[in-house]
Amino acid sequence: MAAGLGLALAAASCDTPPDATSRAPIDVEVWYHAGQPGERAVLEAQAARFNGAQDSIRISLAFLPEGSYNAQVQASAVAGQLPDLLDLDGPYVATYAWQGHLRPLHGLLPENVLADVLPSVRNQGSWNDTLYALGTFDSGLALYADAERLASVDARIPQGPEDAWTVSELDDVLGRLRARDADGAVLDLKLNYEGEWFTYAFQPTLRSAGGGLLDTSDDTPAASGALDGDGSRRAATALQRWLTGGFVDPNLDDAAFTSGRVALSWSGHWDFPRYREALAERLLVLPLPDFGQGTRTGQGSWTWTIPRTSGHPREAASFLRFLLEPEQVLEMAAANGAVPATRTAAMRSETYRPGAPMHVLLRQLEDGWAVPRPRTPAYPFASSIFQDAFDALRNGEPVGPLLRDAARTIDGEIRDNHGFRRP
Amino acid sequence: MNAFAPSPAPRPDPDPGPGPAEKVAPCPGRSARSRRRISFTGLSMAAPALAGLGLFVAAPFLLAVGLSFTDLRLGSPLPVSWVGFEQYMRVLSSTTFRHAFLNNLYFTAVVVPLQTGLALAAALLLDRGLRGTAAARVALLLPIVFPMALIAVVWELLYAPGPDGPLNALLGALTFGAWVPRDFLRDPALAMPAIIGLSIWQGMGFQMVILSAGLQAIPRQLHDAAALDGASALHRFRHVTLPGLRRPLILVAVITAILSFRLFDQIRILTRGGPQERTTTVMYEAVTAAFDRQQVALSAAMSVVFFLVVLFISLTGRRR
Amino acid sequence: MSGGGRSLGERPWQSGTGSSQAVTYAVLAAAALVWIAPIVVMVAASLRPEGRVLPEAGTLRGLVPTDPTLENYADVFQRVAFTRMFWNTLVINASIVVGGLAINATAAYALARLEWPGRRWSLALVLALLIVPFEAIAVPLFYAVTTLGWRDGYLVQILPFVANALSIFIFYTFFLDFPRAVEDAARIDGAGPWRTFIEIVVPSSRTVFATVAILTFVLHWGLYLWPLLVTSRVDARPLPLGIATFRALPPVQWGDVMAFAVMMVAPVAIVFAVLQRWFARSVAAAGIKG
Repeated sequence: MAAGLGLALAAASCDTPPDATSRAPIDVEVWYHAGQPGERAVLEAQAARFNGAQDSIRISLAFLPEGSYNAQVQASAVAGQLPDLLDLDGPYVATYAWQGHLRPLHGLLPENVLADVLPSVRNQGSWNDTLYALGTFDSGLALYADAERLASVDARIPQGPEDAWTVSELDDVLGRLRARDADGAVLDLKLNYEGEWFTYAFQPTLRSAGGGLLDTSDDTPAASGALDGDGSRRAATALQRWLTGGFVDPNLDDAAFTSGRVALSWSGHWDFPRYREALAERLLVLPLPDFGQGTRTGQGSWTWTIPRTSGHPREAASFLRFLLEPEQVLEMAAANGAVPATRTAAMRSETYRPGAPMHVLLRQLEDGWAVPRPRTPAYPFASSIFQDAFDALRNGEPVGPLLRDAARTIDGEIRDNHGFRRP
Repeated sequence: MNAFAPSPAPRPDPDPGPGPAEKVAPCPGRSARSRRRISFTGLSMAAPALAGLGLFVAAPFLLAVGLSFTDLRLGSPLPVSWVGFEQYMRVLSSTTFRHAFLNNLYFTAVVVPLQTGLALAAALLLDRGLRGTAAARVALLLPIVFPMALIAVVWELLYAPGPDGPLNALLGALTFGAWVPRDFLRDPALAMPAIIGLSIWQGMGFQMVILSAGLQAIPRQLHDAAALDGASALHRFRHVTLPGLRRPLILVAVITAILSFRLFDQIRILTRGGPQERTTTVMYEAVTAAFDRQQVALSAAMSVVFFLVVLFISLTGRRR
Repeated sequence: MSGGGRSLGERPWQSGTGSSQAVTYAVLAAAALVWIAPIVVMVAASLRPEGRVLPEAGTLRGLVPTDPTLENYADVFQRVAFTRMFWNTLVINASIVVGGLAINATAAYALARLEWPGRRWSLALVLALLIVPFEAIAVPLFYAVTTLGWRDGYLVQILPFVANALSIFIFYTFFLDFPRAVEDAARIDGAGPWRTFIEIVVPSSRTVFATVAILTFVLHWGLYLWPLLVTSRVDARPLPLGIATFRALPPVQWGDVMAFAVMMVAPVAIVFAVLQRWFARSVAAAGIKG
């Protein structure tokens, strides 16, 4: 009700002629997920700097708790209460765009700013060839490795995405590592994580094998033919071989790699600082294995959108433009360890610039080794079904039927939504 | 409704049947005009609460029934259409929903007897009225004022995985190190028992209070007569105490059964239905369908099914 | 069964041999300890330096605060808007309790004592709604309020809970037994139903008002599902959501979470310990929870 009162007051003040009062700054409401405390502190500092540097726009930040973030935002969207600038997790952008809640960003940001943004970021933020979202950082996956333990089994060290290990090479390495391991579990797949991780981390393997979660080449997305096709089956079979063969550490304490229990950790950019500290010079950052069509890695992270209901899209865009300045991008990337979303910033990053230890992740994003999670309103549902399928994979259920069932369930949902055709 | 009737010992059995009508006698000697005034006064006194109940309980329930026959989705730009019993077919044929229902049954089958048994034992011990037991009573009752959100996080610490986790450490000490530390909330076999443990911890005091009141309502003469007849303590428990507690026992069993079908908060906070759907529940499925997946119509169908189950339990309890 | 010195007036299991008393004491003490242990762990953990919470929680030292510190409590205020959420909880629950007492008692009186058109139907409605659990209507209500754009305020968290069939029912059974002679005397003095109710009935019904007030508070102050559905912004959220979201910020700082929990529950627990007989009576009188 306080909000209602606020609206009433705002409306009242609009009625007074503009010259009667001194020009009040325009309030721009910004929603952000209350994730890592470090990110939050940086964004607060950036908003304060932006507010201090000019007096026509005033940014007011609201932090919405993660966990139910998308559900909260979805309900607010239905209630017609979205802010001026809204933070969304990348794969949800298509849903909001399909529902008509988002404003296209073209025309709101200068072309030179857009051109500097990594192709992966623009890719993830687009739906139906229209750009709706831009992040200030991107993400990526790597196979972190302990150089000494790889040397002890004479493993070949890939130098870049082009010569990633093939699956049979990895099988071979795992077998030899296991022979020298106390409990036989030599690989970490972050089984301690929950939910979206499994789609983010393993959907690229389907693509690498020539399959995928969803086929979005047609107007109507479809899981049949993609998720239950030969490629996806091959990838899932390999994953199941590792999962049920005792190669994978359950990693309940999230310390499998740092404590030396495993030699390989399949994880995201966020683990780099910790791993670097634990292994120092022994840490290798390798591309994920090649399942047949070249390595593929995940991408996409939290990203900014401007809701259609915003009365101040230009002002919101000018704050977004500020956040995309190299200094701001670098500051945020330093706080969360992610890949800076603009080329200018990335080239200045201690972690990702050419020659730096994580440069391979930047290359994956720039040169097309990274695949966005399917950009369709069908994604959130498909992802939750994929997570269940991964669970079944872990339990050793037969790959063929479980993928077929998953594809059928997803296609049922797509049919229920009339193919998610554009309204 | 009698299953829900209070069992306040000092009060005669409230009978909401035809009784009240007779109790309201028309005032003698009043003119028709003033009686009519009184009649509208009565309506105006009842109106706010009745409007509230209508608006926030009855109307949403009717809305749920209506929505369950559509294909409505929250926020979808697509037109809504009637789909008949389609949503119900989906609910009833979904393996996830079947798991949720079975989990509810599992939870109920363990919690109702265990919690009622513990509460009965506690009530009997406290009823001996020994000096100093008031402190024990407070301890056993305290959890009922703890919100479930808070209990969940406290117990999450108790259930922490690894040898440092308090429960793991305790079990390790009790078994002289033979216990292998488990991750209670992520272990498919242990997750539901873990949820049951903290639920009983909270709910037991509530039943204990009702049973205590029931114990005090048993006429002393019955016990005294039995004692004079030379009946043993066990004999008196079986033939005097238990029959005297019949109503409160049925009451707490029915309420606990209904509550167990409402299991949600601790699931949402601690396990989100996992691992492998071992802790998902009917309410959890209904809420995630509507809130996380925007499937409002499907969720409404689940709510209606949920209500029918609750209705069934209440009627079963009432018939006894 | 030793007849011993037992008088007939005592509860049959009240006395007995010394050894059976000792067993009673031992069992009760053990049960009380088990029941209180999680609370002790919570308090002790809240007072311990962060890094030592988990390692020591599983040891006997987990039950006593070693090197007590208030840093976790300071952290809570740093990391979340505790004061704001505390205030929200207070306003929301005070409104539910006070508003509920007013309209439910009034309606119950009208149902129990006055004759008016639709009374029997209304009574039937109240009794029927007793068994509709809030969970069964949470989703359609969420859909309705969301579509109407009603989110993120106090009223959407208060109004759905003010009118309450259970409260009406408890008041109703009480008023049925209220001595009619007292009201008749007032009526002869010319007092109308409103005046009779407010000046005669309410002052003599403190017990049932206290019972319903306590019960309403206990049943509502921990609400989690509804605020989760209808609030997005922290400045509208009550404490139960605070604790859940607080814990969702990785990494889990157990000390901070426990400090939050202690600050949240301590006021209520203290009031409870003082008024525990009242609490017990209201719960027993209601015979239903949730």
